[in-house]
Amino acid sequence: MKKQLISFKLNGRPVDAPAAPNRTLLQLLREDLRLTGTKHGCGVGDCGSCTVLLDGKPVNSCLVLAFQVEGKEVTTVEALADGDKLHPLQESFVEHGAIQCGFCTPGMLLSAKSLLDRNSRPNELEIREALSGNLCRCTGYQKIVEAVQDAAECGDRPGGRKK
Amino acid sequence: MLLPQFECHLPSSLEEACLLLKKHRDKAKVLAGGTDLLVNMKRKILSPPHLVALDRTSGLADIALCGEVLEIGALATASALASSPTVLQTVPVLALGAGKIGSPLIRNRATVGGNLVSARPAGDTAPPLMALGAVVVLQSAAGVRETSLDEFFLGPGQTIMTPEEILIGIRIPVPGPGTGGGYEKLGLRAALEIAIVNVAAVIKLNSTGKKIDSARVVLGAVAPRPIRSPRAEEALIGKPAGPKALEKAAAAAVEDARPISDHRGSAEYRRLMVEVLTRRALVSALENARQSLGG
Repeated sequence: MKKQLISFKLNGRPVDAPAAPNRTLLQLLREDLRLTGTKHGCGVGDCGSCTVLLDGKPVNSCLVLAFQVEGKEVTTVEALADGDKLHPLQESFVEHGAIQCGFCTPGMLLSAKSLLDRNSRPNELEIREALSGNLCRCTGYQKIVEAVQDAAECGDRPGGRKK
Repeated sequence: MLLPQFECHLPSSLEEACLLLKKHRDKAKVLAGGTDLLVNMKRKILSPPHLVALDRTSGLADIALCGEVLEIGALATASALASSPTVLQTVPVLALGAGKIGSPLIRNRATVGGNLVSARPAGDTAPPLMALGAVVVLQSAAGVRETSLDEFFLGPGQTIMTPEEILIGIRIPVPGPGTGGGYEKLGLRAALEIAIVNVAAVIKLNSTGKKIDSARVVLGAVAPRPIRSPRAEEALIGKPAGPKALEKAAAAAVEDARPISDHRGSAEYRRLMVEVLTRRALVSALENARQSLGG
């Protein structure tokens, strides 16, 4: 199969990457572009560890073909921190013990970020629903939910975490 | 998991896509959201030599009210349907069904057209759409035809579509005042789940709200395709709008179900659940119908 050049925006910067038609976005990100924050879990859209934001919306990158992001914006977990400065969500996850093995974490962070971008004061049900496509084998979800709640609430407080 | 190789086509128009399907027929598959097709390809269940991706087409994802008909483009995503103000105002039961597909991540890619074409007996958009009397629009190089969803599904993964056709849209008659719907999905999990049983119901009350003028009840996952329940509908139409009719209808729905036993549940359990879910869907439908009368 012939490779095509895919032009898209990745974490705010323009990228041109060659890819065969059957290459998934996940493979492009991890193997070709060496952004290994996004994980390969099930490969069939059932676990969410491959979550990225596509034009701001969380999707399973294992089910997006690379050529389908032509002209679009892709955001991976690597976009969250600013150098050494963690994103408020990341800080909150660390403080709440919401990271055990860390495999689900990139996906959880992006799904959570997408939620807070749309709804800055989600209730617990809304948080759990927004994260329902991201499975975690370690934490039992409780601390992840609390971390998202904390990040949401702190955002408005003076001196608190900005989103 | 690796995808098999294929030749990829990116037509920029529907007409071009139809010509590709005419040329390649059953050697080609249409790629929309990919949340079903790509999974089947990764699992080596399907290996189409040609993929016709619709990414470069435009205008196939619109949701628009055209007089008394709600027109939904086949490429509208499940997320879009679940949150569309137009859908929520006119046919909220469809938003409910679309909102129960998979997960938020899946819903951001899965399309309503794909959900129908995949023709799974437990699919989430088919029961609400059938309960709304929806019609699907199929296009090929030979022209366009419409068919009621009631006649669309033949069995698991099987529809009346020919290999040359693309499902391009869905047309739903806008329900009048006094109409309400309900959708219930039972699964072992709250998300990322295929229904053990699912039920959609739409009822229309008369002008005083005391009588049920019309009713459509659709059962999913209890037959090779989503089915209407004529027995439940008969127990509702013309009857006083109240708990007695709903309970009788729920019990009657069980008679129309023909579930199998599988790893998600036994046939007997499914029959029991048909009654429970039908009753719940009807209770919602009645409440929504009353609200839409302004009472």
